[in-house]
Amino acid sequence: MKKFIISFFTLLLVISCKNEPQHLVKIEGKLLPVNEKLESVKEIEVFIQPYKEKVEKEMNTVLSYTKTDLVRTDSQLESSLGNLMADLCFERANPVFNSRTGKNIDFAMFNYGGIRAGITKGNITTENAFNLMPFENSLVVTELTYEKINELAQYLINGKRAHPISKQVNLVVTKDGFDLKINHKTIEKNKTYFVLTSDYLQNGGDNMVFFKEPVTLHKLDYKVRNAIIDYFKEIDTVKVKLDGRFRKEI
Amino acid sequence: MERRNFIKQSTAATAFVTLGGLSLQSFAKENKKHITILHTNDTHSHIEPFPNDHYKSPNQGGVARRATLIDSIRQENPNTLLLDAGDIFQGTPYFNFYGGELEFKLMSMLKYDAATIGNHDFDNSIDGLYKQLPNAKFDFLIANYDFKNTILNTHVKPYKVFEKDGIKIGVFGLGIELEGLVDPRMYKETVYLNPIEIAQDMSRILKEDKKCDLVICLSHLGYHYKNEAKISDLVLASKTKDIDLIIGGHTHTFLPKPTITKNSIGENVLVNQVGCYGLNVGRIDFYFDADQNKASKGKSIIV
Repeated sequence: MKKFIISFFTLLLVISCKNEPQHLVKIEGKLLPVNEKLESVKEIEVFIQPYKEKVEKEMNTVLSYTKTDLVRTDSQLESSLGNLMADLCFERANPVFNSRTGKNIDFAMFNYGGIRAGITKGNITTENAFNLMPFENSLVVTELTYEKINELAQYLINGKRAHPISKQVNLVVTKDGFDLKINHKTIEKNKTYFVLTSDYLQNGGDNMVFFKEPVTLHKLDYKVRNAIIDYFKEIDTVKVKLDGRFRKEI
Repeated sequence: MERRNFIKQSTAATAFVTLGGLSLQSFAKENKKHITILHTNDTHSHIEPFPNDHYKSPNQGGVARRATLIDSIRQENPNTLLLDAGDIFQGTPYFNFYGGELEFKLMSMLKYDAATIGNHDFDNSIDGLYKQLPNAKFDFLIANYDFKNTILNTHVKPYKVFEKDGIKIGVFGLGIELEGLVDPRMYKETVYLNPIEIAQDMSRILKEDKKCDLVICLSHLGYHYKNEAKISDLVLASKTKDIDLIIGGHTHTFLPKPTITKNSIGENVLVNQVGCYGLNVGRIDFYFDADQNKASKGKSIIV
């Protein structure tokens, strides 16, 4: 009997020892910066190397050439890079849109802030395209009413910025308002216009609210950056000029 | 008869005390347990350190350096979990070129234990994410996305219970509402479920059914929003219970130290988020003690 009791208690102890309930008594939290004070793990660096080399090689691939610096700041209401961007997106996107709808895009418009970097004269590489357009924005075509086109023009005039617009637009700020022509024609009240932009701006980015509720919306599944790369690949030497597509009446 | 009984009992009692004394000594070490949680969020394809001439974070970050930091902590405490709160994808050409392959392979080399899914992890669509899953030797945990009608069905789990040194750690994941944030063609038929309701279910399952000692939420909801109606980590913390730690992401919030806040029954919850791009690693240490006396004093939080 005595033995039984002792072994019972021993057993109880062993069990309780194993299943000792644990109580949380202390928590410590801190932030550990990852900086130059830490050595790199060689194995990781070696693993990254071939990926890095391929990216660098691709990034350094020459796509095209420019004789002048392409920047967004070489004029007040338009720019060489802005004109190029809007025109090339129009050129790349219109065949896609036309093949799907049988209609043509009227013009393209993007935002000044969306031009993230200029291109220095000389070779144009894939890296230039990535720096110019690091975002994954895609091209969309919005069908806008006469009223929305007027809002768009007013936005450009109020902003006084060189937002990229394509060459089909001729917007002149006059003493008593503005004169807007699209494809050499004055805009008409009962007509709608197909405007190319990015999905980011269509969603109201940069306060371009006139894109928000279009009559129809066509997503082209074509990234802005890919349009830029595809264009550069086809063009030996990029030619751009400031043509006064958006200007003040002298 | 009564006297004999007494002797028997007292002998047994003596044996108990002796054994008890012995046991206290022999188990003294195992009476204390230590779990370390390491975490990252919004690494966004940042593989290499920022260049030396970077305007904001020169020569900061880098996966190979993160590996050194994590290795040294694992050596110090093998009972360590390494977690990520999502947005692993998008941010450098590495993602544009390899679609996340390198990110997942490196995280596997660093021995990540689990990650949740961020909105940018859908940037190559749900198919792009699915395609990269074989490169991830860790689990994706997300409880409030119903993937039933998608290719990810059965490939992600709502939660996972880890056991380290006898301590059960339940980890579950929560994702942000995708509508309006991600193109529907990217997430396809993924159904977003209310994160608060799901978190209440998860914490009950992990605490009561699975008897977890620690419950951790890996969240990509975002730390805090001016619009209080939008569910953030702080809102989540206040409306749930039995969660010890919320590891957050999405808002790229750089918290110099974890936030201590109250849950729905007035208990402390830790919420942490360590910025973005692998510039930091968060570290939370949990100390356990089997000694009832120490436990009765409550837990201390040092941040």
